[in-house]
Amino acid sequence: MPNNEAKDRPEIESKTENTISRRSVLKIGAVAGAAGVLAPSMLTSKEALGFQEIAEPVRCDPPAPAASPAHHPFVDNFSAPFPCDDHPLNPQPTEFPNLGAGEADRAPHPRWTQFAPAHFTYDMSAQAGLHQFHSDFGQTYIWGFNGQYPAPTLFGKYGKSGLVRFRNNLPTFTTTFGRNEMTIHLHNGHHGSESDGFAGDFFGTGFWKDNLYPNVYAGIDAYGGNPGVDGVGDPLEKMGSFWFHDHRAEFTLNNNVLGMNGMYIVYDSTDPGHENPSAGSLQLPGYYGVTDFPLILVDHKFCATSGGRTELVNAAGGDKFIVNGKIQPKMTVRRRKYRFRILNTGPTQTYDLTLIKPDGSVGTITVIATDANFLEHPLPVDAGANAGNSNSTTTPIVPGGLRVSVAERYDIIIDFAAFNAGDKVYLKENRSMFVGNPSPDPLPAGLNINNVLMQFNVVNREPWFPVDTPPIPSTLCTYPTLPATDNTWEWQFVLVGGRFRVKRPFDTVGCTFDPDHSAHCILQGTTEEWLINNNIASGWTHPVHIHFEEFRTLKRFVNGVEVPVPPLMSGRKDVSRMEAGQGALIKMQFRDYSGRYLIHCHNMAHEDNFMMVRWDIVPDQAALDACIADQQVCELEMKAKENYREEVA
Amino acid sequence: MDISKLLTKPFEPHPASPGASRYTNAVLRNQNNETVKFYDDLIRGKQCVVNFMYAECHGSCPAVTQTLKTIYRELKDRMGKDLFFYSITTKPEDDTPAALKHYAETRNVDLPGWYFLTGESYDIETIRFRLFGMDHPGFDGDLTLHGSYLRIINDGRNSWGMAQAFASNRNILKRIAWQDPPKSYAERVVESRARQILIEQEVKKYGYRRDVMS
Repeated sequence: MPNNEAKDRPEIESKTENTISRRSVLKIGAVAGAAGVLAPSMLTSKEALGFQEIAEPVRCDPPAPAASPAHHPFVDNFSAPFPCDDHPLNPQPTEFPNLGAGEADRAPHPRWTQFAPAHFTYDMSAQAGLHQFHSDFGQTYIWGFNGQYPAPTLFGKYGKSGLVRFRNNLPTFTTTFGRNEMTIHLHNGHHGSESDGFAGDFFGTGFWKDNLYPNVYAGIDAYGGNPGVDGVGDPLEKMGSFWFHDHRAEFTLNNNVLGMNGMYIVYDSTDPGHENPSAGSLQLPGYYGVTDFPLILVDHKFCATSGGRTELVNAAGGDKFIVNGKIQPKMTVRRRKYRFRILNTGPTQTYDLTLIKPDGSVGTITVIATDANFLEHPLPVDAGANAGNSNSTTTPIVPGGLRVSVAERYDIIIDFAAFNAGDKVYLKENRSMFVGNPSPDPLPAGLNINNVLMQFNVVNREPWFPVDTPPIPSTLCTYPTLPATDNTWEWQFVLVGGRFRVKRPFDTVGCTFDPDHSAHCILQGTTEEWLINNNIASGWTHPVHIHFEEFRTLKRFVNGVEVPVPPLMSGRKDVSRMEAGQGALIKMQFRDYSGRYLIHCHNMAHEDNFMMVRWDIVPDQAALDACIADQQVCELEMKAKENYREEVA
Repeated sequence: MDISKLLTKPFEPHPASPGASRYTNAVLRNQNNETVKFYDDLIRGKQCVVNFMYAECHGSCPAVTQTLKTIYRELKDRMGKDLFFYSITTKPEDDTPAALKHYAETRNVDLPGWYFLTGESYDIETIRFRLFGMDHPGFDGDLTLHGSYLRIINDGRNSWGMAQAFASNRNILKRIAWQDPPKSYAERVVESRARQILIEQEVKKYGYRRDVMS
């Protein structure tokens, strides 16, 4: 969050150390329904920011430096990314692509008459920017939405459709490792395929594209009409913590390292974005940026360059762990409950998070949602009585740890009332980073500064700060009942002959990512069980992500043997973490839309290396036949090549 | 600086290209026994497809060569002008320029813009690691594992991509096209408008759009 935001309100600045800003206060007002009137001076005008000429970074790779520069822990403040301004769009969004006005090619928005005009319109410009990851560092060149890092957070509300205009204002000519083409995926929205950020649908600089996010529960056709205050669809399909990111084939990792991702939070009556009692509300901590924070994890490597800047190194794994755009930040927390929406943006590493109490023991975190979906019952995770609530089937997990692989989201609640004012609590990651300076505060016994992600400073709640929410309800939701299975299918995530790929059992080798051919055809409105297998011993973890709808895990396997589904994997999810040798039987529905979607490993290095497959939902039998005929094309060509190989061998 | 001129000028490397520090300037010999420097003569400012093979290979190499031959036909207007194929032997001790010439001739692939290259085994090993290395010992140490990858480089754009030779030819062609020199905004607008007609036809026919961006 820009430093100048709170400067003209010194009383807030001094009291809250930036954890609350004017804009957050505004957001409380707006979300709580107390219609806020924006004074013109408060608006951050995109025009005012302009397209600043930002000098391209001085390259510092190769050779990559051995380690990033040292930094001092707990200097910068933890804060939520900016809420994005609702912005009128000119020209008006249209059903068919407005190619004449510079929109990139896409299919027409499906269900346009049902969801247009959009209630929320956002204008997101992907452009070069500068961000300071740490006060000890110089500015860092990034590609951010509206030039910001992390990207501004988008908000939606169920029943109120949203439309985001993603503009590609990236430099036409770049010397960075990024690729100035983009296609933005909303992970994991239920919407048409033209708005889904399909990996082959990237568009170049100067163009823009409208993504229509209807913010509806899945099951529009089945539930129809307008059954409740939250709009159409099955309310049991409610989701909350989405994120959007670039999905450009082969360059997803590079562009995401440069910063092209952010949060998208959708509210409904059960989770309304405020803490006041209201019909159906679960009254969870819910003031964005005050008691409800995204916690976006990423690791980067940096190098200091001659220009006084500190630039990102193009590396798949970094030695600085970053939380909401800051390295080892500190956060002042009141003695009450807070909600954190953990998101691992990778690009490749898996986190094992633990909360470390002042005495060095492991604290309790309560998981309320997995991948944007509420659990039926909140699950406390700690090293004691709740050590069984792990989310891993094989690998010995850190006691009390929460394992978060790339693209997984966990909404957690931490109750800081369990601590005393003056206590310092730490969020720990199992891997080590490079810090280079000792902690300014004595650390709890056994905790190394290199493992600390961030520090919480517990203080008493001031009178003006929102009072604590009621205890977390014991029941958060009911899972929808899945209909009978219409079809079964299997995807194998394999490394064969040095090739990462997603293989069907009948494939001789397995298709590579082919944007033009579907590898699996599904009739719209049906339900399928998919066996996802990572049983070829490769030693790799594959966080498998399926676009479009949420799935339920029916069974988990370790080396082919069925094991109980871990409690934290039993809810609705869209990323299934497959550690080496693991498998999962998942079940999901394909409703309301037809088009092209993806299943892929979300380790971004793997998806860029073809561990990704297109599958299609088709509207009727005729289209299914056409799709299946098309589906053979890739396999036939592959087989012909394989046969030729056998012949000459 | 007028960037558009820079981009359309042939064989001009991108200012950020790592150049010989990544690609090396190893001295190689082609099937015509001509001496070439790997970066300066083969990569610099050019778009190319690189694969590794050896003449006596009876695994995937002949199939990959066959694939490249098929693709060559589609791209022959560009071949040797701004697009090149480089097939580098992993067994330089057996594959002399003469042996590679024989290999190319017997398979009818001794074609303009397609070079079969040999050299010092240390140099070739280095190039293989620089182009395909994934910092995974079990992966990088095994000669056979990269057999079916095609590395697509466009030094004029400082970009590189990859294709699997066993993917469909259309897929490989698309991946080569993804590394083509960037088109100007005006060109893309013209294309974009032409595509609108195709979209409407497809949507009418199938009810949704089946192709991607072509």
